[in-house]
Parts: sequence; structure tokens; C-alpha cells
Amino acid sequence: MAYKGHRINPKGFEKSQIKIILLLLPLIIFMALPIVYIINHAFKPMEELFAFPPNFFVRNPTLDNFTALIKASRTAGIPMSRYVFNSLIITSVTIVLSLLFTTMAAFALSKIRFRAKYVLMDINQAAMMFVATAVLIPRYLVMTFTGTINTYVAHILPLLAVPVALFLVKQFVDQVPDSLLEAAYMDGASDRQVYTKIIIPMIKPAIATAAIMVFQQVWTNMETSNYFVNDDSLKTLTFYMNTLANANNTVAGQGMSAAAALIMFIPNLVLFILLQNNVMNTMATSGIK
Amino acid sequence: MSKKDKIAKKSSAKIKPGRLARREAITGLLFVTPWIIGACIFLAYTMGTSFWYALNNIRMTPMGKKFTYVGTGNFTQILLADVDFTPQLIEYVTSTVLSVPIIVVFALIIAMLLNGPIKFKGFFRLIFFLPVIVVSGPVMGMLADQGAATISTIDTQAITAAMSGFLPESMATAISELFGSMITVLWYSGVQILIFLSALQKIDSSMYEAAQMDGGSGWECFWKITLPTIKPMILLNVVYTIVFISGNEQNTIITLIQNSMFSGTKEKGYGYASAMAWLYSLVVVLIVVIFAALLMARKDVYERQVKKAKRDMKKEARLVKKIERRGIRNAKKIEKARKKRKYSTYDGSGDY
Repeated sequence: MAYKGHRINPKGFEKSQIKIILLLLPLIIFMALPIVYIINHAFKPMEELFAFPPNFFVRNPTLDNFTALIKASRTAGIPMSRYVFNSLIITSVTIVLSLLFTTMAAFALSKIRFRAKYVLMDINQAAMMFVATAVLIPRYLVMTFTGTINTYVAHILPLLAVPVALFLVKQFVDQVPDSLLEAAYMDGASDRQVYTKIIIPMIKPAIATAAIMVFQQVWTNMETSNYFVNDDSLKTLTFYMNTLANANNTVAGQGMSAAAALIMFIPNLVLFILLQNNVMNTMATSGIK
Repeated sequence: MSKKDKIAKKSSAKIKPGRLARREAITGLLFVTPWIIGACIFLAYTMGTSFWYALNNIRMTPMGKKFTYVGTGNFTQILLADVDFTPQLIEYVTSTVLSVPIIVVFALIIAMLLNGPIKFKGFFRLIFFLPVIVVSGPVMGMLADQGAATISTIDTQAITAAMSGFLPESMATAISELFGSMITVLWYSGVQILIFLSALQKIDSSMYEAAQMDGGSGWECFWKITLPTIKPMILLNVVYTIVFISGNEQNTIITLIQNSMFSGTKEKGYGYASAMAWLYSLVVVLIVVIFAALLMARKDVYERQVKKAKRDMKKEARLVKKIERRGIRNAKKIEKARKKRKYSTYDGSGDY
């Protein structure tokens, strides 16, 4: 049955829970595999990386991969901090702006009546299913036309409109009852107030989920660095990590790429743990029935 | 005029929007404007351009792009001459159609388990959502390369052999491959679990209480309360899953498109890749439409009846109008005929 309350975990432990926990445990192991693997892989010494059949767990953990990575980054012309800075700026700006646009558009498309609403929604749906790679060159042309090639904007603009996020958030806004909005309008709230005071707090879980998704997309994106930016000092950390692992010889690169994967993964994990309370609580506490 | 006529006329008359409605429309548009601008430039325009590219053969020369208009040449070539595209597309369609229900059902089961009052619930939820932040990155590619994403111990050959007894060969291979990549399938279900959880938590618990008071079992509660309530979310999840699988970097067709985009051969190149992308997107849209049609919420009985009554009313009004018009026309005809036979003794009344 639906469990209501601020705390996720029940206070007591009952015998009836055992069967559910027994059911969940094997699945948990499956689900946790990739994370365990990434962490283990990064600490594997060279001979274990190439062992066949591959081992899942590390036997003799070393930090060799990390030291190799740092050594390689020292020899490069541009310091690593520059790439970290680039990635941070790009990711944070993109997340904030795209979430703002997405929630605004979702509110309007879901709750306000105006012409062409359904056409817009259809366009979004079509865009969602379109292959992103196919629009690479048109995008490049737009970039050159607007003169945003080789700037931070080139990283941010193409990722601002995330059709999947809009689709997801709109579904959640649809669930907000109209009567709630009507009550607010009756009390003299403006559209802006309804948006900030009702819609945003109510769809917080959806926003948190969308934030994680957008973060994923921006953080791991190499397309913009590859195609839209030529200046090396403006490229992102992901791109840098990838070149480091690939540029050196492939044997040594394997270990470095494993370490790089772990480093790239950690921000994901941190953000997720920060947001997880929001994501996990979902709508239980928001008072919608 | 009868009452029915009046109603019919009223419903067909155009209602002009008032000032309030207009204002609402303007605020609505204002809220979407930033999104529209972004979508126009980076989605609509680029998609249009890529369609134009699909109709051309594009060659990159030092002087810039060289366009040659080939019409549907690219498409026919892909469908008839490309050795990779069609088989991979078929494989993609079967694997998607098979794995989407599995992912959604798995997500629903997990969500229902997680929704109950169990200890360490927060921890469980965390673990089940964690794959989401792994599978979308380049890490997934590494995992797949290492073979960590497949169960190597399961003998897929045996499953294929067992299944080909009563299934066509291609289906059997697809299903056994699905068994092999079961872990990946489960990893893809993080967001879906979350969406289901939020839907489950919104179901009013008093509904279950009422059902239990009337002697409903848990099984019945699931079919009569849980499933109908979360139906829209099922559709959402299905669409999300299809889109996720289709746009994934692990997808072989995406790699194929990318490869042909940067291949220097004469007939391939950007136009060819665009055509491929359009074909592929069309197939994806088709899959989504089919699933959506299967799951689309049917309107309830009352609404259907109202619609039917309205339709009947319109039909009747049309009939009345038709008869009226015919009457006028006939009257005119008779008048004409009478004029023609001005001097005849017959005046149309039947008696001389």
C-alpha cells in the first residue's frame, strides 16, 4: 500500500518484510554490478586488465593507473584545471537554463490554453525520436552562422533543448490537479506566481530526475568538443580524458582510460547522492492526490 | 425551427475568443517562447536541413560542400543495395519490441516492491536507480567491450535450439540474445522504476482500504485499482524506453549512420547518412505509434455516448438541410417548367 510520510524507512522491522528483501537482494546485486566493476577496474594493474578470462574483482589493487594519468596530463600544454573549469561552467549553466526552459514550457504546454499547443507537442515528440547524429552538420552551420563557434556558447546551445526532459516533466505537470491552480488564480495569483509557487514545488521530483538526465548528457558529451570547438583551451574534461587515454599507446591507455572512467563517474555519483532525497521521495510528500 | 436545429446551429457556430482567453493564450506563448526559439533553431531547422541533405549526394571538397540532387536515390540505395542497414534494422525492431515490455514490467514489479513498507528502502531505491547514471555514459561502452554486460554462463545456443522447435529461426535467435543481454535490459529500467514509484505513491490509500473492506484480494486490487490508475505512466514509460533504446550509443544502427557519414566513398557521405537517419527515425516513430495505439486510454462510456449523440444530431441536421434545399430546388424547377409551358393549360396543380 502507498506509504505516506516524510521518512522513507519504516521504524520497525517486521517478519513480513523478509520475503520482499529476499526478492530484492539478488536483483540488487545485478544492479550494482556496473559500479562495482568501474571501481575495481580502475585499480587493476596492467596484467589484470588484460587477463583472459577477465576478472571482475581486482586482486592486487594499485594506483598505477592514476599516476600514469597525472603524469600524462603534466606533459600536456594546458593544465587540467582549465578543463575542469570549462566542464563545470558549461555543465552548470546548461543545467540551470535547460531546466528553467523545460519547466516553463511544460507548464504552458500542459496547463495554459493557446493556439498551436498540440502542434508544438508533436514537434517535440518527433524531435525526441530523431537521431541526434543526423543533425550534426546543420547544427554546425547554425553555429557558424550565428558566430558562436569556438565559444562556450557552442557547448551550451545545442544541449539546451532536451526533448525527453520536456516530455517527462510535462507528464508530471499534467498530474497536478487543475483545481489547485484554479484556487490559486481565484486568490489572485498571477501566472508567474502559479509557476513558481505551485508548479515548481510540486514537480520537484521530476525536476531532480530531469536534472540528473541533463547532467549526464552534458557531462559525458564529446560531440560539441569534437565538432564545434577548435580551441583546445575551451574543450571539456570528458574530451580531455578521452584523448589522454587514446593518444598514448593503447596498452598503457587501457589503464588510464579505466582510471579516467572512474574520475568521470564520481561527479555523477556525488550529484546523484545530493539529489537522491528529492528523487526518491517523489511525490509522497507533495500533497497531490 | 425545431429545438434540435437550434442546438445543431449553436454547436457549429464559431465562438470568438474573449479577452480573457486571448490573454491566457498570450501568457502561454510567452512561457514557451524560449523553448520555441531553441526548438526552431536546433530541432526544426536542423531536421528540415537534414531532410534536404537526404535528397542530395553531398561530397566534401576543398572548395566546400558539393550538392548533387538525387531525389529519392539515397533511400532506394539504402533499402535495396546496402548490405548492413536492413538486417540491422530488422534486428533492432525485434529486440526493441521484445525488450520494451520486459523493461516496463520489470520496472513495475520493482516499483511495487519498493513501494511497500520495508526496511532499508532508501538504500534499495538508491541501488536500483544507480545504473541510470552509468548506462548513458561512455562507461557503458567499456563495460560492454569487457563483456561485463552479458551473462556468459548462460548457453544461448541451447536456448536457441530449444526455441527453434516451435518458433521461426529469427525469432528464436532474438529471444536467446535477449537472455544473454538480460543484465543490460535490467540496467535500463532505472528511470522507469522512478516514474512508476511516483505514480504508485499518488494512489489514494483509502481506495485500497475500501476495496479490502469489500473483500477484494491483493490480486484484484492490482488489476482494478493500481493498473488503471497508473496507465498513463505505463504509456510514458514505454515511450521513454523506446526512445532510450533507439538513441543509445550502444545501438548498432547509430554507429552505422555515423560510419557512413564520415566514410569517403563516392556514393555514401553526409546525404546518405541523413537519408539513413530519416528512415531509422521513421521506424522508431512507427514502433512508438504501435505501442501507443495498444496502450492508449480508451474514452469512458459516457464520453463515447455523448460523442455519438452529437454525431447523430449533426447527421440529422444535415439531412433536414438537405431536404429543405431539395424542396427549394424542386420548387424552382416546377416554376421554370410552368413558365416554359406558359400557354399550356397545365398549371401543375393536376387539374385542367
